[in-house]
Amino acid sequence: MGLLRRHPALVPGLLFAAALLLAPTLAERGTLNDLWNMAFFVVLAAAWNLLGGFAGQVSLGYSAFVGIGAYTTVLLANAGWSPWVTLPVGALLSAAFSVLVGLPTFRLRGPYFTIATIGVGEAVRVIASGLDFTGGSSGVRMPPGTFDFESNYYAMVGLALATLALVAWLQQNAFGLALESIRQDIDGAEALGVNSTRIKLEAHAISSALVAVAGGLYAINFQYISPGTIFDFRLSLTIVLMPIVGGMGTLAGPVIGAMLFSYLQIKVLASPTLRDSYQFIYGGLLIVVMLFEPRGVMGLWERLWSRLPRRRTPAIAEARGAG
Amino acid sequence: MQKFVVVALNSLLTAGLYATMSYGLAVIYGVMRIINLAHAGLMMLAAYATWALNDRFALDPFVSMVVVAPAFFLIGMALYATVIRFLPRSSTGPSMQSLLLLFGVWLVLQNLAYAIWGGDTQSILTPYTMESVRFLGGRFGVPQILVFVVSILSLVGLTLVLRRTFLGKAIRAVTQNRDAAMLSGVNAGQIAAVAFGIGTAFAAMAGSMLSTLYAFTPDFGRSFLLKAFCIIVLGGMESFTGVAVGALVLAFVENFASAYTAIPVSFQDAISFTLLVVVLVAAPGGLPGLWRMLDRKVVAR
Repeated sequence: MGLLRRHPALVPGLLFAAALLLAPTLAERGTLNDLWNMAFFVVLAAAWNLLGGFAGQVSLGYSAFVGIGAYTTVLLANAGWSPWVTLPVGALLSAAFSVLVGLPTFRLRGPYFTIATIGVGEAVRVIASGLDFTGGSSGVRMPPGTFDFESNYYAMVGLALATLALVAWLQQNAFGLALESIRQDIDGAEALGVNSTRIKLEAHAISSALVAVAGGLYAINFQYISPGTIFDFRLSLTIVLMPIVGGMGTLAGPVIGAMLFSYLQIKVLASPTLRDSYQFIYGGLLIVVMLFEPRGVMGLWERLWSRLPRRRTPAIAEARGAG
Repeated sequence: MQKFVVVALNSLLTAGLYATMSYGLAVIYGVMRIINLAHAGLMMLAAYATWALNDRFALDPFVSMVVVAPAFFLIGMALYATVIRFLPRSSTGPSMQSLLLLFGVWLVLQNLAYAIWGGDTQSILTPYTMESVRFLGGRFGVPQILVFVVSILSLVGLTLVLRRTFLGKAIRAVTQNRDAAMLSGVNAGQIAAVAFGIGTAFAAMAGSMLSTLYAFTPDFGRSFLLKAFCIIVLGGMESFTGVAVGALVLAFVENFASAYTAIPVSFQDAISFTLLVVVLVAAPGGLPGLWRMLDRKVVAR
């Protein structure tokens, strides 16, 4: 039982995973679409959280990596390549680009890094709209016969679960500790021998590769991409908001955020009046979270949990009192 | 040579506008150490306000600025009193929390505009929109020239306020050293509210002027926010002269790059974003920092 005590999320996590993987035999297509969308958001949010949450490097340019993954898959699929090849190639290209972007921008700290990433994201979008081989601003289509919802569903859910497992594993080994130390005090971390630039580059590469695979699957599922959808600033924005609202730097935070946002999106898309201004809610959420609980839903949960009256063993009470 | 003069004059005209849109950001950064991401939303909102006044009452965009700028001064003060005031203060530099909070404000403004005016592209057409003036062998649009004149007037006005009035001196004092200013009896909270109002009013003026030059949607303003940020970084974040120099540098680089290199016009925005990243990385102190660094090297020899 030691394993369970160390990982209290293991049992509900496994049950949840089993339910998601069994869903295609039980649920309808509409529900599965919503679940696919949620898994897509979980990948984006959890991968972003690796750099933005654990290491505290808030990037507003992640749509660039979604876009690179999506464009690689579409362009290579049109050249006759199988998704088994295009998805890893997209991940590699995205990771390579993340290093290219990270080398200069990781020299910046805090908000300066964040604003530089807005610049990078915008530059990528502007350039993708202006290039010929990307189909310009009108976008590109997948070749016919590449659509298969069921396998795409399994791939996306599998990717989401793999991402969460990877993040959980990284969180509790030395790499996760290094990320955490960078967030708390980058100079202190450096003084203790953490090569902060290298750790940040690695976290950036891992998360951008994961995001690129999700982008590739997105392209296969929707069969059509354009700079206006895939490089959209709003996508970067959603990616950032999910972990922030859920709780940055935690394992469950991005999942909560992704569930909340995919639910919101379904509700909002169903009502035509809200469709154009759904980010009103996003902005309001962001203001409320930043003013009242910068640690998001998870922070709120901890606050409520610690207020609950309950019996404590004397040793724990003593330790808490001392801490 | 003639092409050079025309491009240089065009850059100068652009620089006036760029300076106006950056001053608001610089005042707020100076007093509060906050990067006002909502700047873009405020510029967009002012563009719509100008458009609405033009549409309803056939008011000229440059005349309507007389109404729009003071109105946005009050909006800025209100924004400070309701939201910004509650941010925990950071003495070292802008906090992530303030950045994300203002980002939220920007989103709310943007979607307020979507809810009120919808997502269609709007533009303002005045009798002089298509007019141009011949000068030194080049053609210069009348709106561009008017924007330049108004920019210079507003910048002179701001400089006078900052140099000559008690309020201006207090703003500069808080910018230089908040604690020392408070010890000398300056109400820093009040000054911050006024500074946020001034910053917002300048965003509004920039927005009104942009609306005479470009078509806009509620998504408008992001690229101009990045440009403004690039300019204040170039100018060294706190210096008001630095902002003017930064605006000149960015305008010249953009115009000359698209006039003399093979970079297509559609990539022009990418130039400023790249410049922003390069400046942030290579010269985080901006031009003043670079100047001091070179100076020190010369002295060392």
